[in-house]
Amino acid sequence: MKKILFIILSVCALFTACKIDEPDKDLKRVVFDPGDLKFISTSLNPKKKTSSALYGNAEALASLSGENNQLKNGSVMKLVTWKYHDNPQYTGGTITGELLSIETIQADHNGDVSYQIKSTSENKDINASKEERIQYIMSYRPVKRP
Amino acid sequence: MDSVKKKSNVKPIAIVFLAVLGIFAVLQFTNQPLEGQPVSKKIEAPREVLAILENSCFNCHSNQQNLSWYDKIAPISWAVNKDVKRAREVLNFSEWNYSPAEHQGKMYAILNMMQSGKMPLHEYTLLHPSAKITEKDIETVKKYTFSLSSLSPVKQEKDLLHNVQANHSPDPAKFPVSPNGIRYTDEFKNWKVISMSTLFDKSIRVIYGNDIAVKAIETENFHPWPDGSIVVKSVWKQENYADGEVRAGEFINAQFMVKDSKKYTDTEGWGFAKFSGNDLHPTGKTASFAKESCIACHRQLAEKTGYLFDVPMKVNTERLIKNLEK
Repeated sequence: MKKILFIILSVCALFTACKIDEPDKDLKRVVFDPGDLKFISTSLNPKKKTSSALYGNAEALASLSGENNQLKNGSVMKLVTWKYHDNPQYTGGTITGELLSIETIQADHNGDVSYQIKSTSENKDINASKEERIQYIMSYRPVKRP
Repeated sequence: MDSVKKKSNVKPIAIVFLAVLGIFAVLQFTNQPLEGQPVSKKIEAPREVLAILENSCFNCHSNQQNLSWYDKIAPISWAVNKDVKRAREVLNFSEWNYSPAEHQGKMYAILNMMQSGKMPLHEYTLLHPSAKITEKDIETVKKYTFSLSSLSPVKQEKDLLHNVQANHSPDPAKFPVSPNGIRYTDEFKNWKVISMSTLFDKSIRVIYGNDIAVKAIETENFHPWPDGSIVVKSVWKQENYADGEVRAGEFINAQFMVKDSKKYTDTEGWGFAKFSGNDLHPTGKTASFAKESCIACHRQLAEKTGYLFDVPMKVNTERLIKNLEK
């Protein structure tokens, strides 16, 4: 009798244990809020499977539009990098997924340039020096369109 | 006495039966056979791919129907004829007047329809089990479709205007209008970017949403999308840089999706528009152009996200985002 009871209870326990939590319960769809900055340019790194959007204020746009890419005083730029994936709804396409990092460059009114990076992962992908990153971000050109 | 009763019972049944038979016979006179259309240019593909398409798709998506006898009997024939007409409007293997790039695009659409199990239609394979697609068929189509990718050349040249962002004075009254009434607007350049994507055609895309659309995404409230939502996809050619990085090159087009459930009833409440090239010339000859093109894929493949392909993925955790905001 005890054995039977044990089996019945075990089976019951098995069923209660099988309650599946919603897999995406804690996950969110994120739209980056650039504040007053506007989208300037974009890039894709197929090796790292990352995609970036560069945002900036009017001074930043003017800086990147110029011939010699001099960072104008008062410029603010943010390079926002995402991991991308194959589009789950369309084979042959990719779409951005996890937000990885936000890099900010600011040039104050004395021409002093600051660089800051915030990353979602502890082990940062970006090992380059501050100067290299500023130079890299300054290599962007505004996207062309009518 | 019993037999008399039976007789009087049989009669009405017989009358009903004869009446049904009569109606059925009359229906056949109303039956208009599908108009035969000539094969102007048949799709070209490897034999094994063509065999799959002929077996599973051609009956509706071509001018070469090989219908069963029961497909030609009213009222079944009504449904069949309607389906065939609609199918031909969307994709017709007998009128394959496409450039290699368009051919590639169509093959990707076909592959995605097969992979998702949306095509051939379930109602069709019920009556025509031999048209069912196997995993092996999908692999064959996939292999061929992927092989097409290498054919599309990547434009490498850079023009001198690269450094200059077009800076025209926007006069909204002069902006082009799509045949369905959607007018191009520059306003999206001030909206938030909701996602970025690429496609097999070596394009790079940035997708903007207006405030209504962004709020719908953030609150997971897009089943259906609220009226007034607008999503704009800006598309460029990919331009390769040193160390393998890719950036946005020549502008290709701007694609609009405008939600108005009362206005765009034929296309799941979405109005579609596409403005291409530097003159932003609108796509479509008639107001219903999206019914024959855009919505077919959006309806079948993007239903989960309210018929939009580029809704950002639900993959970020609150904890990680908080780390960034610190």
